[in-house]
Amino acid sequence: METTLAGHAMETLPHVTWLGVLIKAIIILAVISAIAGFGTFIERKVLAFMQRRLGPMHVGPYGLLQLAADGIKLFTKEDIIPQNANKFIFMIAPIITAATAFIALAAVPVFPDFTIPSWIPLLGGTFVPSIAADLNIGILFVLGMMAAGLYGPLLAGMSQANKWGIIGAARTAVQFLSYEVVTGLSILAPIMLVGSLSFVDFNDYQSGGIGSWLIWQQPVAFVLFLIAGFAETNRTPFDLLEHEAEVVSGYATEYSGMRWGMFFIGEYANMITVSIIAAVVFLGGYSVEGIGWLTIILKVAFFFFLMLWVRASWPHIRPDQLMWLCWKVLMPIAVINIVITGIVMMV
Amino acid sequence: MSTVNIKIDGKEFAVKEGEYILNAARANDVFIPAICYLTRCSPTLACRICLVEADGKQVYACNAKVKEGMEITVDTPNILEERRAIMEVYDVNHPLQCGVCDKSGECELQNYTLELGVDSQSYMIQDTKRETTNWSSVLHYDAGLCIVCERCTTVCKDMIGDAAITTVKRGGEALDKGYKESMPKDAYSMWNKLQKSVIAPSNGTEFTDCSDCGECVAVCPVGALSSRDFVYTSNAWDLTRVPAVSAHSSDGFQIYYEVKPTSIEDRSEKIFRVTNEWNYVSLDGAARFAYDFENRDVTKDEQAFDKAVEAFKKAQTIRFNSVITNEEALMLQSLKENMGVKLYNPEVRAFQKFLGYYQKASGNRFYSTDADALMKKSDFVIAMGTALRNDSPGLKYAFNNVQKLNKGAGLYFHPVGDTLIPTFGKNVECFTHKPGLEEAALYLVLDLFADKEQLPDDVKEYIASFKSSETKTIKEKVMKDVTEMVKDEETGEEKEVTKKVPEMVEKEITVERNGLVDLLGGNSATFADTFEKMMKKKESFSMMIGEDFYYHDKAENLAKLIALVEQTSSIDLVMTPPKSNALGVALICDLDDAAEGYTVGYNENGDFRLSALGDGDLDMPAMNQQEGTLTNMSKRVVPTNAALEYGGYELNDIVSSLIDGQRETIDWTAKLPTAKGYQAVAFDSLANGYNNDGTENRGYLLKTSNRKANMPKVDKFDEASALEGEIVYRCNPARQFSDFTDKAHEIFEPFGLYASTAKAEELGKKVEVVFENGSIIVDVIADHKIEGDITKLSDFKSAQDIYTLFGESRYKTVTMRKV
Amino acid sequence: MGLEQFKNRNVGTQNYTKLDLGETPANGFEQFKQVAKRTFKGELFVGLWVTLREMINALFKGQMHTVKYPFEKMPISPRYRAIHDMLRLLESGHYRCIGCGLCEKICISNCITMDTRYDENQRKEVTEYTINFGRCIFCGYCAEVCPELAIVHGPRYETASEQRASFSLFEDMLTPIDQLNLQQEYDGFGAVSPNADANIKKTPLAY
Repeated sequence: METTLAGHAMETLPHVTWLGVLIKAIIILAVISAIAGFGTFIERKVLAFMQRRLGPMHVGPYGLLQLAADGIKLFTKEDIIPQNANKFIFMIAPIITAATAFIALAAVPVFPDFTIPSWIPLLGGTFVPSIAADLNIGILFVLGMMAAGLYGPLLAGMSQANKWGIIGAARTAVQFLSYEVVTGLSILAPIMLVGSLSFVDFNDYQSGGIGSWLIWQQPVAFVLFLIAGFAETNRTPFDLLEHEAEVVSGYATEYSGMRWGMFFIGEYANMITVSIIAAVVFLGGYSVEGIGWLTIILKVAFFFFLMLWVRASWPHIRPDQLMWLCWKVLMPIAVINIVITGIVMMV
Repeated sequence: MSTVNIKIDGKEFAVKEGEYILNAARANDVFIPAICYLTRCSPTLACRICLVEADGKQVYACNAKVKEGMEITVDTPNILEERRAIMEVYDVNHPLQCGVCDKSGECELQNYTLELGVDSQSYMIQDTKRETTNWSSVLHYDAGLCIVCERCTTVCKDMIGDAAITTVKRGGEALDKGYKESMPKDAYSMWNKLQKSVIAPSNGTEFTDCSDCGECVAVCPVGALSSRDFVYTSNAWDLTRVPAVSAHSSDGFQIYYEVKPTSIEDRSEKIFRVTNEWNYVSLDGAARFAYDFENRDVTKDEQAFDKAVEAFKKAQTIRFNSVITNEEALMLQSLKENMGVKLYNPEVRAFQKFLGYYQKASGNRFYSTDADALMKKSDFVIAMGTALRNDSPGLKYAFNNVQKLNKGAGLYFHPVGDTLIPTFGKNVECFTHKPGLEEAALYLVLDLFADKEQLPDDVKEYIASFKSSETKTIKEKVMKDVTEMVKDEETGEEKEVTKKVPEMVEKEITVERNGLVDLLGGNSATFADTFEKMMKKKESFSMMIGEDFYYHDKAENLAKLIALVEQTSSIDLVMTPPKSNALGVALICDLDDAAEGYTVGYNENGDFRLSALGDGDLDMPAMNQQEGTLTNMSKRVVPTNAALEYGGYELNDIVSSLIDGQRETIDWTAKLPTAKGYQAVAFDSLANGYNNDGTENRGYLLKTSNRKANMPKVDKFDEASALEGEIVYRCNPARQFSDFTDKAHEIFEPFGLYASTAKAEELGKKVEVVFENGSIIVDVIADHKIEGDITKLSDFKSAQDIYTLFGESRYKTVTMRKV
Repeated sequence: MGLEQFKNRNVGTQNYTKLDLGETPANGFEQFKQVAKRTFKGELFVGLWVTLREMINALFKGQMHTVKYPFEKMPISPRYRAIHDMLRLLESGHYRCIGCGLCEKICISNCITMDTRYDENQRKEVTEYTINFGRCIFCGYCAEVCPELAIVHGPRYETASEQRASFSLFEDMLTPIDQLNLQQEYDGFGAVSPNADANIKKTPLAY
């Protein structure tokens, strides 16, 4: 399959250089990290409003600089490594989480492409693509990377010589592995329809306005993907990995400082990734004309807000209910959805 | 003592015969309310609240004696009504200032108002303004709070003997006539009196003329009387009571030091006041007010301690006084036994010797009675050789109490005339004799009281040799009837009126002369009659012996005479140990006659000074900072406790580093010499209190032993040994006993030469008193209770070393030089 | 006697109201029905609506509950027991405390101490008064027992301080004399009850 951004403008696009990819990577890293951090602020604010509180108010106007304060705090806090921990693994585990989250973003279209104005020295004229690595198996890559993210919490929990950590690690393995299945199966039906694993193709497929969005053709897949997405990103009601009331902080129990912060950034980066996937695959993604790129931001924002909203509203579930839901409900429905989709396509 | 059986509220009790109902009930834990009654004083019948029904009649329990088979009901409806009315009357116009009142919490008015359930008031009268005054340097009287129960006046008269306060009239509204009908009878008459009276000094001035003993403060049931220093400084309930023994006079009164932290800033404990069981023991001014003589802020000074140990190793003599516990005395005695050091104590040595003479002559280990027993039993007291007012407050109270309560009589032999003692009773006869004639006084006692059959012949003859008879013409007053006619001015009628008119008639009579009486300054012509009157209905006799005898040239003969008096008459004997623990020291320590060489002084002069006064080379705990026992005049070993903390070294620490000692001072208690009458009991097992019926439950009594002794051989006395000329008597003012009383801030009596008013005027403000072996310049202080020319020189300042000036005598002929 | 009465452990009258929870599913099909019912009935959306509604109320209808504490304060109940105040007499400005020591006595944690003396006007003067706030449990007995309404619990509940002693001396607690007009009467424990007059018996007075 061809690697295209938008078929009709393909000829006009300049060639993607390594410098452009590098700049794009740095932009993603910087912006998504910032957004992840900002996400924590938004989360606290939204949860507060839903409980009729004000949330953080004192650092900066409306508490906007709370993020900076938290960042300073995280960076300056002592990095404690437990005596009996497997130190090497303990140290790299948060890096795995953060790294996989950002690597996954490499294949996701994040911002529209642009060319750096030529008056800027050195970088002038460099074309920065909207996707760092426009792979033709984008979706597969993203799902794969997110699945690899499983190793972060798993290793963290196992290396820290703490029973809460072990329980957290076990839950990680069970939950992530199980819901990979649902994610994969649920997104298989749209893939069958589009016939491509590239996000750009998905985007193009739905460029015909709201009516062409895949959500109308695959509502079941959308719901399944959303549910599985919550589980994959460890959000309420599926936040069993580090649920305070049960396992203190699960795999993150012994972490402090910036290492703990990296888990956080990874989690929020994953939330953004899932939101983007959902937006691109089911809600039509972005369009190149005018301020069409703004639509994807609104869609991503909606999904992000939904995650917070759900957290404010719903209680979380028991581990056995989680497994029951996955294997006895979601997985069969996903399979049936694929079968029906296949039959419809054949007929 | 015989007992009678009575029934109170249906319960049977066997009680002492002749006891008041109230005392009988109290002894058996039956509660009868009473405000004005004091156990050892005469009933005043001021409060009338002790009303009970005995055999169907209403009587006052404090004033009615028990009879065999008496049936007593404490509460009847009528009596309850009376009592409630009385309490309501007491509450009329009583200031509602319990919040600030010092008595609040231990106030009998509060207690009885609650006990009798007074929750409303039915009576009223306009109040009169009554001023708050200070009666003396220690007494504070708030007339507004006074309920005129007269306990203060009663105790001052019946117990203390000063009779310095009395009930006087005050202006006040007359009671509403209607009350006479509507009110219970007793309540009305009580109110009638209460409304008209208030307490005031009896000498008509604003200030009391008394010994400032503060017993009136102790007995006051409300906040009317308090000590000036204590007013508004603490609530009763904040104070912790520490049972102890007064450290000053040899009476060894039981007291409570009441302590609490000094202030908010200074949390160290401070003694705020001293209280006592006033129903059973009366304190003197020193016991009550000389309490803050502690050695404050002492820490362990190791250098000084090492020096002290060195000094003890070097010492040939340890000089000390009687302000010392039995345990410390025993430690010093152990030092003597182990290290051969001499023990020098001029205060006690003479007494120890005298006691030895007495023991040898009489075969008794101790004198037979004490102040308490004397008050309960005796009705005839003889005091000799003691300045009763100054030396021994306990015996002064006993002497007075016997006159007042036992309808007693008393003989007081002393060279220094006293104006107070004759006022104790009608039947008190004072002999102001010349110093040196104490033996003559004892011969007179033998003459008056001894069983002539038992007396040795030579004594009998010697006494008879003073007797003579002579004829004398005296003038006698005879009443003659005179009749005359008187005209009534109103009616104009003439009447025959008969009047009695005195007329002097000359008469010739034979008079028995007793040379002894005359020699002692009495008048033998009238004495025989007086004595006959004194002896009426008298059954129990006692004699008080004091310090003059111990310091007498003829001490041994005096001791023998006393032994003779005891053997040939029924007189009980009590001796006054000179100061605090003199008896204990005399029994425990083997004292030497003189100091020599390097001397360690314990609260006394010396080359190295241990001192609890804070001025020595090494600090020692004062009596209110240490535990231990004292041996008091009643031959009782009484425990005292530490009221205040002390951070320094004790004598025990020094002794332990010199010889094999004990861990704690009180570990010595059980080691006290049993051969001298002590018991081997631990300090912690000693009780310190009184039972409800007044029996003393403190420590233990020394074991007495009586050996059958031969009739002592007594010498005749030499009239010529009487001192003539300017005589000084070593005697402290009342309330002063030692440096410790002097240190206390509520004791104001100065060091000086106390003289009668006339003598003081003659001497001027300051004199130099020249003794054979030195002289001293002192202030002259007028004391209007002294009579005659003999002056009293204080000895309470050990730094002045008065004992050395006086040597082995209490009287000295001196030369006075005006300064 | 039997043991029946001991075996009945339902103590008290049973007045429970049972919630209508429906039937507990007995077999697989019923369970499936229950899941399906709950899934499609939209219960979850009710929950979402509730939180969203509260958010809208808070943001746009002024129903935010937060009190911005150091800048805003809630009014406290007169019965609130904060740091003590010593009140003054309104007429003379003299402190009300008469030094009776009842607070000292009743204090169950023994933290009140006072020094008093006999002053020149023959009155009891309180020279110093202190509460050890390290021990005080704010039980309010002192205010309740005070016969003069002198010691009361004030409104100062912010008790953080560099020095524990900062609140505890007489002058710290006493109403400043220049703020006498701002002195608030205390309505908490120990205050005069509204029907106090009716509860007192009158004493006859001749004048």
